Amino acid sequence: MAVGKKDIECPPYAEGTPLSDEDIKEGKVTYVEDHPDIRYSWTAGQAISKFLNGLKEGKILGVKCNKCGRVMVPPRMFCELCYKPIDGWVELKDTGTVETFSISYIDPDAKPLPEPVIVAVISIDGASPHMGIMHILDEVKPEDVYIGMKVKAVWKGEEEREGAITDIKYWKPVEG
Amino acid sequence: MIEKIVNPKELRHWDGKIELYWVYTSGKAGDEFFKKLKEEDKFLAAKCKKCGKVYFPPRIYCEKDFSETEFVEVSGEGCVRAFTVARLDAYEKPLDNPEIYALIDIDGTDGCLIHLLGEVEPENVEVGMKVKPVLKPKDEREGRITDILYFKPL
Repeated sequence: MAVGKKDIECPPYAEGTPLSDEDIKEGKVTYVEDHPDIRYSWTAGQAISKFLNGLKEGKILGVKCNKCGRVMVPPRMFCELCYKPIDGWVELKDTGTVETFSISYIDPDAKPLPEPVIVAVISIDGASPHMGIMHILDEVKPEDVYIGMKVKAVWKGEEEREGAITDIKYWKPVEG
Repeated sequence: MIEKIVNPKELRHWDGKIELYWVYTSGKAGDEFFKKLKEEDKFLAAKCKKCGKVYFPPRIYCEKDFSETEFVEVSGEGCVRAFTVARLDAYEKPLDNPEIYALIDIDGTDGCLIHLLGEVEPENVEVGMKVKPVLKPKDEREGRITDILYFKPL
């Protein structure tokens, strides 16, 4: 036996009523509105806290695992491959290699940017291969960026740094 | 064992805010209901033309047989089916005066409404008590459920 099939007609007025912003503003229809105040506080945890505090001092910190031998960045408290706590902290260089990149012509609100931003994943020198962070590139034209390009961090002045990823202003190509 | 941050001031966090804004329209039947309440102090229900079920708040079609409904006027009076006394606000701060929330079966309908009770002490509220709505002054009404201030004992 067929289930769910009913001989019904849809009332014509159930087809929907188009409404514009103006209709709402002029109070043509009744409505309720709300603007909930949703705030959150994301705790960085042990490893990322130390990483951010390191940035304030102009250092990029990674961690190492003695079992698999990897040097990891961004740092973490556990090696996800060996399922064990990491073994120590390592100071890495502020140079690296472009792993991948993207050219963004719009901002987070999808508004066009006056100048495109080059977003890249940069593997950090001193860490294991392909270990890196996402950041932006500058002092280079979008058409000149390539995977494998060597780059160097451009830091904010010491007094301007606040222990954020933006303490590195951007990465620029290593000259020569 | 690896050294850990023990000074809480060295532990970091990131504050964020989620922007959210919405407008929820009352719909076809809801709009009729609130406009009638705002302009004419009257309460609307909707009666199914086929099975006779009376919806309150009104609907444009019957949920049981999908047939059309027609608006009917009701008094807005009813009786308390259930109630609860709130002594804390939404942020769990103690209220100066407890608020009584009640589920009210509306006379002449098969529907009900959750609203506040007023002009009565919590200890005097009873299930089955007859109540009637108290509206805001006409010039203060906005076409919202808060145009009803509360229900009071008859």
